[in-house]
Amino acid sequence: MASSSPAPEPRPSPTYRLTEDQAALRDAVRILADERIAPRAAEIDRTAEFPWDVKELLASHDILGLPFSEAYGGLGGELLTVCLAIEQISRACATSGLILAVQELGSLPLILAGSDEQRQRWFPDLAAGKTLIAFALTEAEAGSDVAAARTRARRDGDDWVLDGAKRFISQGSVADLITVFAATNEDPETPRHDRLTCFVVEKDMAGFNVERIEHKMGIRGSPTAELSFRGVRVPDANRVGDEGEGFAIAMRTLDRSRPAIAAQAVGIAQGALEVAAAYARDRKQFGKPIAEFQMIAAMLADMDAQTEAARQLLYKACVEIDAGAPDAGRWSAMCKLVAGDTAMRVTTDAVQVLGGYGYIDEFPVERMMRDAKITQLYEGTQQIQRLVIARALTARA
Amino acid sequence: MRIVVLVKPVPDTASSGERLRPDDWRLDRAAVPAVVNANDEYALEAALKLTEAHGGEVVLLSMAPPSAPETMRKALAMGAASGMLVTDPALGGADVPTTVGVLSAALRDMEYDLLLAGADTSDGGGGVVPAGVAAQLGLPYLSYAAKIEPDEAARTVRVRRISPTGFDVLEAPMPALVVCTQALGEPRYPSLKGIMSARGKELTTKALGDVAGAEAGAPTTAVLAATAPPPRAATRVIRGPADEAAREVVAFLVERRIV
Amino acid sequence: MPGPIWVHGELTPDGSLAKISTEVATLARDVGATSKRDVVGVIVGSDPKGAATELARYVPRVLAITEPATADHAAATIVGERLAELIEREQPDYVFTGAGPEGRDVAGVVGALTGWGVLVNAIAVRWEDGPVVDMSVFGGKLTTTSRFAGERGIVTVRPNVVTAEPASATGKVEAAAVSGALKLPLVKVVDRIAADDVAAPIEEARIIVSGGRGVGGPDGFGVVQELAAALGGAVGATRAAVDAGWIPYAQQIGQTGKIVKPALYLALGISGAIQHKVGMQTADTIVAVNRDPDAPIAEFADLFVVGDLFEVAPAILAELRARAG
Repeated sequence: MASSSPAPEPRPSPTYRLTEDQAALRDAVRILADERIAPRAAEIDRTAEFPWDVKELLASHDILGLPFSEAYGGLGGELLTVCLAIEQISRACATSGLILAVQELGSLPLILAGSDEQRQRWFPDLAAGKTLIAFALTEAEAGSDVAAARTRARRDGDDWVLDGAKRFISQGSVADLITVFAATNEDPETPRHDRLTCFVVEKDMAGFNVERIEHKMGIRGSPTAELSFRGVRVPDANRVGDEGEGFAIAMRTLDRSRPAIAAQAVGIAQGALEVAAAYARDRKQFGKPIAEFQMIAAMLADMDAQTEAARQLLYKACVEIDAGAPDAGRWSAMCKLVAGDTAMRVTTDAVQVLGGYGYIDEFPVERMMRDAKITQLYEGTQQIQRLVIARALTARA
Repeated sequence: MRIVVLVKPVPDTASSGERLRPDDWRLDRAAVPAVVNANDEYALEAALKLTEAHGGEVVLLSMAPPSAPETMRKALAMGAASGMLVTDPALGGADVPTTVGVLSAALRDMEYDLLLAGADTSDGGGGVVPAGVAAQLGLPYLSYAAKIEPDEAARTVRVRRISPTGFDVLEAPMPALVVCTQALGEPRYPSLKGIMSARGKELTTKALGDVAGAEAGAPTTAVLAATAPPPRAATRVIRGPADEAAREVVAFLVERRIV
Repeated sequence: MPGPIWVHGELTPDGSLAKISTEVATLARDVGATSKRDVVGVIVGSDPKGAATELARYVPRVLAITEPATADHAAATIVGERLAELIEREQPDYVFTGAGPEGRDVAGVVGALTGWGVLVNAIAVRWEDGPVVDMSVFGGKLTTTSRFAGERGIVTVRPNVVTAEPASATGKVEAAAVSGALKLPLVKVVDRIAADDVAAPIEEARIIVSGGRGVGGPDGFGVVQELAAALGGAVGATRAAVDAGWIPYAQQIGQTGKIVKPALYLALGISGAIQHKVGMQTADTIVAVNRDPDAPIAEFADLFVVGDLFEVAPAILAELRARAG
């Protein structure tokens, strides 16, 4: 029987500052990102190769253990801490930040609905960064409309047999494990939201294939894969949660994974802001640094204020979601909506501040602008986020 | 093996706020965030590698202001097992003899096979303290180590010392004091688990009175003034073809009588 | 009766006088003249005569102590111990030594055995009723001026802050004996390994040509070396180049390498990040070549060439050769 995550301990009182441990962790990840990941970022983007060295770096510094509880060798699984790390890494390299975000995303169905046996089987290696996990929900014809998924899982004895295809799966080609959502019920009487079931497919299972890797505008080092399942035999022991619970698991997963994307977006924005501010301070035109011209100063001010606002909303959302807030979906959608739009705006303005230099790859802002766009698209488009928020709002009204 | 590493919190060079207090020209250590002295990190890394290879634990020792525990936590996060901090208002601005005396007194109560130190400190240290401590404690002194190889069975240590012509290979009985160089290897970043466990590690604080035989002697030196060095003349920038630039450079060097 | 100023003469591995000691001796002589104190050189070594004779070109009197133990033991502790015994006997007031690895080790031992204060890394020493010592701190951001509280002390002097100048007359060398067992533990030298590519200590070089990340690889250092040779200088490097294995650590300049104060620092392909800057920014003249017009080094160099070092450095070489020829 699937067990949900244990009720979190009550927090003493609202605090708007990070704890010492959270700050220490954040600073440690920042140093690592600045010294070891930032120098690689341009090359990762140019070669569009998955940065195994960065993955090793994150693993060896326990960073990939952040989403998992200490019982499995992780660092506790607190959402805010995971997001602090993603933010710092993404400042330097959005592709690298995604490695941690996807490790969390792929594991969430198991964290939320997996059995103790499943967690015991897979979490230690995932926490140690020895294995990677991806999340396969989206299909060619089922993007925003998740329930329309057509990948099927048919019961056969103690196994399930999967047939179908998933599209746009982040890190689908480098993952050892994939949490896959397949339709197990095609009875037209069954409500749409009760038809999916979640399974863990292991990469060596026969019939599982990586069909192609997309060439993308941004986060080019992160392989986005099309996966096919042709008669993939998956033991029932790999089923996550109840039959028909898949859609609910997916939605609860997204409530916790959207903040991770918001963290990536805030990180990208912050990285771009820092480049723009440093440039504006050093670049002199008409006899003075361009930061002293009001139009530039105003842009920088807006970029900073908006990034900070997105950041604070993200941190608050993490705390609310971890506290078990009943409106977790609203928090999750809001922080992702605001952060994604902020990242796009801030990176575009960063290119603007740098002028011609912002358009060439000698400076990282053009890459950051390309990287930012995805945060408005995946884990639910901004339009989906708005639907979620509007529904929550009107339900309360 | 038990290894004690001398660490000193110093102002972060990368920040630019170091300043001296105008009333007594002492370093205003509150003005800038402190980091573990860069050279001490190499000593600490060497110690950690040795205990990983030979078993045992690494202990930190520092004589520093009361704000030091935070910086020492960073060193603990790298993997040291515990730390001892000697801190006392009377030790503010301590000169070389007092520093040597207090560290030696603290070390007399400690047990170790090796005592490691960094080559010098970035906040004005002249690299004379480790030699002084070794002399005061009667420890064999091996400096500028590029390699450290203890032989626990024989209770000796071999050190490759960087010399002007290459390396000297030194050997001495343990316990010994070894001054470490960067050649020993890059300090590790603390892992997140290291950071989280640092909080639980023991960091003992002792005042001057708690350390037998330690005292703040009358200062042997005094700072009279601190000034910013005269600003450099504005940079002359040369662009253009390489041969023209080269002509300007050489003319400049001739003008300055360098060639 | 005011005591003399002593100059500790340091020895190179082959037993000759270290260059820095000629500078320290020159400085001590100037201070001696102003203060009207005697200046005496002191050398401790297994065969000190040659070095003592050389040191006598700079100071009027040199005490040469033969100490066989330094032949195959780590010298600093032995030298320090003998110096401390001699200090007890001869009663000098001040001891000047170099601030390099050898000198500072000796200063530390002597300081601990005598209880004297130590003023380190002097970039200037004058006399005002006692030595007044300038020291450059925080990577050159500040210069502090200090003195001893009492009437005795040890000063360590940075390389290259004084130009060595022999005295007008050669001094006398006196053999001095210090007997008695050494009390501090001896460290045996079991082997000496000569490295193929060892250069003279870089802190002593008058001209340094340095390469950084822009050099791109060990082959790139060829042009750095050629230019250094043409200028009669030493080759330096940033940490990036050393970490990448292009050049030995002994030539690294910066926060965790050497601090240098040459007459000319020529930086090729070096951005000038703070960790490197603190190692070289007090050089008299700084010339930098970098493709990046916004490299931090442009802010504190005297002359900044925007260009490709692989074009500019050979051009400088050609220009130097044209002038020489």
